[in-house]
Amino acid sequence: MHRDWPDILGGLALAAIGAAAAGWALAQYDIGTLRRMGPGFFPAVLGGLLTVLGLVVALPALRRRSDAPGIEPLAALAVLAAILVFGLGLFRIGLVAATAAAVLVASLAAPRPGWGWRLALAAAIALLTVLVFGLGLRMSLPLWPRLP
Amino acid sequence: MTTWEGLLYGIGFALQPAVLIYCVIGVVLGTFVGVLPGIGAMAAISLLLPITYYITPEAALIMLAGVYYGAQYGGSVASILMRLPGTPQSAVTSLDGYPLARQGRAGVALFTAMASSFAGSMIGIAVLVTLAGWLSHAATAFGAADYAAMMILGLVAASTIGSSSPAKGFAMVVLGLLLGCVGTDVNSGVQRFTFGRTELLDGINLVALAMGLFGVAEVIANVRDPDRQGVTGKIGGRQLLPRRDDLKRLPGPMLRGSALGSFFGALPGTGSTLSSFLAYALERRVSRRPERFGEGAIEGVSAPESANNAAAISAFVPTLTLGIPGDPIMALMLGALVIHGVQPGPMMLEARPEMFWGLVASFGIGNLLLLVLNLPLIGIWVAMLRIPFRWLYPAILIFLCLGVYSVRGLSFDILAVAAIGLAGYLLALARFSPALLLLGFVLGPLIETNLRRALLIGRGDPMIFLDRPIAAGFVLATVGLLALSLVQAWRRRRAR
Repeated sequence: MHRDWPDILGGLALAAIGAAAAGWALAQYDIGTLRRMGPGFFPAVLGGLLTVLGLVVALPALRRRSDAPGIEPLAALAVLAAILVFGLGLFRIGLVAATAAAVLVASLAAPRPGWGWRLALAAAIALLTVLVFGLGLRMSLPLWPRLP
Repeated sequence: MTTWEGLLYGIGFALQPAVLIYCVIGVVLGTFVGVLPGIGAMAAISLLLPITYYITPEAALIMLAGVYYGAQYGGSVASILMRLPGTPQSAVTSLDGYPLARQGRAGVALFTAMASSFAGSMIGIAVLVTLAGWLSHAATAFGAADYAAMMILGLVAASTIGSSSPAKGFAMVVLGLLLGCVGTDVNSGVQRFTFGRTELLDGINLVALAMGLFGVAEVIANVRDPDRQGVTGKIGGRQLLPRRDDLKRLPGPMLRGSALGSFFGALPGTGSTLSSFLAYALERRVSRRPERFGEGAIEGVSAPESANNAAAISAFVPTLTLGIPGDPIMALMLGALVIHGVQPGPMMLEARPEMFWGLVASFGIGNLLLLVLNLPLIGIWVAMLRIPFRWLYPAILIFLCLGVYSVRGLSFDILAVAAIGLAGYLLALARFSPALLLLGFVLGPLIETNLRRALLIGRGDPMIFLDRPIAAGFVLATVGLLALSLVQAWRRRRAR
């Protein structure tokens, strides 16, 4: 058994976000009056509320114990990196290469060794993507890298 | 238009080939995505939302509704055969569905789920038709204060009822409301929290938010799971047929489940999850042999399935007549309609009858299709359950990225999905509900606008929320719910 870290950290993070949002709204936007609310009124109130709620979640958790959640850093890293590779690569290396690269990165997290199936999967999904989005839905995307 | 005229008109509209085809596509794709392990209706709708940009708003709504109940059914298949519920409500179905499947009666469990879903949706449609006309008439008397008070009640109800930690639920709702503030303020034109990014002028992209919170987070959570062995063996044909004594046990749970479901579905903030839990509990209480529950009682499959389908349909009542989504899935539906340039509200029944009645009719037609299609297709769904997830998830990710990109054609949104996905994964790990965040996000701008308008009308006096009888009723109910959850929290602390 560990301390209830999810609630402590989650609550504190929310409180920090709330405080930052309220502070930013108070500093940057007009608050107005209750009758004529400015653009800052609603976010400032919500930020304050979130700060309070974050503390309500975090403080009681300090004295509580709970099981640690099963975190999967490798899965999270591979999946998020794959999305970034695809997003950044789409207009630089084209749909086909970006898809294949993203699939390879994403498949790194899969619990099965070997590169053969990964390469085959990348090729298959790249083909499917071109068929569905390029030819089927006619989205205007560069298929191949732009030649210099 | 009377109810019958409306229904006939709607059936005529929904049976047009150009509309019917999208109903079929929605139901099949929804079931397809819903069967995928760990992916629920929420992720299915956000994943398929971009396809609807290419069609008319009416067809889009009909297709998305098909995706919704198709995904719900697909979720039940996964939870009966593999105990892999994609959503909390199908988790209830697996309580008795999976034991049934283990006893070699998977076919009967699937048939019960199908028949009960169908019965539930038919009763849901009857409730929707009855209530919608009345409510959209009553809603013409609603002012800004009433709307604001009602939406706040919905948010409070969603975060307290059936939640293990109301504080965490509220925190998510408020975070959602805050995220809803990002973008240009409608009243003053001031850019809030955009930090100079032009991509954020229209606010955070709803599809990116939904896909990040549900799609990406669910993929991450399932990637490392080893290949699971479900119930094997042939399913289909004869095995689907129930025995006579099974059939005799069905009508009771179906009716009770549907009644519960259509009641709770129509209330703001509650919805299908709560009603399937309640229906299961009720069935166990009225049963003469409650010890069979959890061991493969057919009533334990029938009641929650009828309830969640009835609730899924009656949840459209507040969404379509008031423009206020009662649960996160309806929030996503409403968001989809707004993207299509349709703002649901009291006038919709009059102004866009083809949309309302077409949708109602498509519920009936879609559920019939679900029943007809799934008898032959069940073998395909079973085969799909055996595809290793490692082959599927990279494709899901790519489709998800292109789906988000297709909304506005900005690669910024793909990068936003990665950031939102990380946040969604961390939230799920710490057991904060991303669904409540989405509900807050969609309702945020509506609440702010109505709140500001109400206080302007009331000359800055908050008493306007108590002077108007409708608003006062909602405020009273909100205060009551808050008091109730405080009392419960206090009791729990004392019990410890």
